[in-house]
Amino acid sequence: MSLVSFVKIQKDLEYPMKQAISESLRLIDYSFDKTVRKVVIKPNLCYYWDCSTGQTTDPRFVAELIDLIRERIAADVEISIVESDASAMRCKYAFRMLGFERLAREKNVRLVNLSEEESDNVSVACNGQTYNLMVPQIISNSDLRINISKIKYTVDPIKLTCALKNIYGCNPYPKKYKYHSDLGNIIVALNKAMKFNLCLIDGNIVSGIQPRKLGLVMASQDPVAIDAAAARIAWLNPSKIRYFQVAEKEGVGQRVFIPKGSSLDYFRALYPKKTFRRKMMGRAYKLVLSVGLGRRLGLE
Amino acid sequence: MRNVKLGIIGLGYIGQIHLRHSLKLANAKVVAVADLSTKALKRAKDLGVKKTFNDYADLLKDPEVDAVLVSLPTHLHLKCTQQAAEAKKDIFLEKPISVKIEEANEIISVTQRNSVKLMMGYPLRFNKAFGRIKADLDNGLIGDVENAHATYVSSGPFFHRAEGYLPIPVPEWWFNTEYTGGGVLIDLGCHIINLLRWYFGEIVDIKGYFGHRFSMDFEDSAMCLAKFACGSVAVINVGWFSQEYVLRIDMLGSVRNISVSHMPSSQISTAFQMLARGISEFYQPHLDELQYFVDCLIKDEAPSPSGQDGLRDLEAIFKAYKNEILLESIPTLASSK
Repeated sequence: MSLVSFVKIQKDLEYPMKQAISESLRLIDYSFDKTVRKVVIKPNLCYYWDCSTGQTTDPRFVAELIDLIRERIAADVEISIVESDASAMRCKYAFRMLGFERLAREKNVRLVNLSEEESDNVSVACNGQTYNLMVPQIISNSDLRINISKIKYTVDPIKLTCALKNIYGCNPYPKKYKYHSDLGNIIVALNKAMKFNLCLIDGNIVSGIQPRKLGLVMASQDPVAIDAAAARIAWLNPSKIRYFQVAEKEGVGQRVFIPKGSSLDYFRALYPKKTFRRKMMGRAYKLVLSVGLGRRLGLE
Repeated sequence: MRNVKLGIIGLGYIGQIHLRHSLKLANAKVVAVADLSTKALKRAKDLGVKKTFNDYADLLKDPEVDAVLVSLPTHLHLKCTQQAAEAKKDIFLEKPISVKIEEANEIISVTQRNSVKLMMGYPLRFNKAFGRIKADLDNGLIGDVENAHATYVSSGPFFHRAEGYLPIPVPEWWFNTEYTGGGVLIDLGCHIINLLRWYFGEIVDIKGYFGHRFSMDFEDSAMCLAKFACGSVAVINVGWFSQEYVLRIDMLGSVRNISVSHMPSSQISTAFQMLARGISEFYQPHLDELQYFVDCLIKDEAPSPSGQDGLRDLEAIFKAYKNEILLESIPTLASSK
């Protein structure tokens, strides 16, 4: 079983996120390999929503992680922050608007738009099918890959965006909507093709039915375990999220985990969960759209 | 009674709204649309528009078209209105009038030279609540307005969650100030400046503080202080930074204080409004301004807000950009915890 840590950020410290990340790594017995030279960090950037919305990774979280990496490995370690263009988001604007350009200047790290990088074609078998995917060379050539995700609801059947789903953003192909009909399997296939060594969750602000300051940092080396833990925080049943099952079957990780640190239930109680009314509204909304009445009722 | 034949140029976000509303107009018919997107043209065809063009120059050659609604990106306004005026089409032009003062002057002069009507698209003037403020001011019910505070904050061109489930792409031109003329002050601020000029008359001085939360070349928030010839002072507060939509005017007068908001209804209320009347309250002013434009053409009256209004608004905006109020510098990432 994999370890998953839960740490409350102590706001009164000088570097609160660095301290919380450090503690979360200690709890899962993780130590940085001092021979590492090339680090890739994948934050979760989503459209042009800044970190106050809970939708995207806070650049301050990444900044303090960079400080920690340089302290623990070496000051001259080469660090790249990677993201790719999406159907509705252009990396060049997202990096700038969400504070990552400033971060890159201040911390002397590279910002990489994976959609503009060299990639290799790979075939990945997943859930009885074979997927032809592109793997950016900067990811395959790195020594340490860190996935910094958020905890947020997304559309059915995926339900939760966290560590596994964040790797979907490493797919350099920009028109990602073409994968939506088979999203769960694609997410798992991408996680098989690009294995990340360390998963962190920036849960300082999370996005449920509304944003909430949760002050949480989570860590694990297992993306499935950390997602299962995050799902429980978001009041979702991990065994009902189908792509978690597929990920486990495909050997990406395990849904059962050993919690370390603060109580999961403490953060779960604070999470802005979906109410029954909101769930019903969502279903009614989808029904209206599915029968083609959206435009007529002013909902599109 | 004359039936006005309309052509719509540009079927982007606002063009689609105009198309939807134009189909409900009395004494008018949309006979043609032009856009580069074949998808948008197909959608228009599905709604019953007979003629569709990839090039608006072809639409302007169509003798059946009496007037055009121009809803193109701002930097294309000049060329399009020049061609439309020369083709003797009356023009309804989306705000802001243009990206430069000289271009606004040229737009006005070409419409005058060709004796065609020009109306600027400012739907807030057709909002009933904001119209009541105008009537109350004119009738002396508020007295002398010492100061007013106008707020218009939303996500601007950046889609927000409240509008649906999936984000929509932001057209590339929105990121280029050569194509937009500026940021939120020119986009949302022009609505407020136009409305306040309608209430108070001309602006004699204006200064602005401009925020750059998103570190772009354009401002994403602006707070302006404007002095009007009548003596009133207004704070104009506009922004693209919020996922919540706020449009509110507060006025402190020597007789009465007044506060008016214009907010979108909930999805349920909107659905009921659409079922009952075929249009939501939120978009009613958009329909009313188009109906007014059509009525002006039928009655051969000069529509308002005019091109001159668009020019005065733009002059105030550029004056505010020039008179920037500078506050403390941006803190570094490390010190902004």
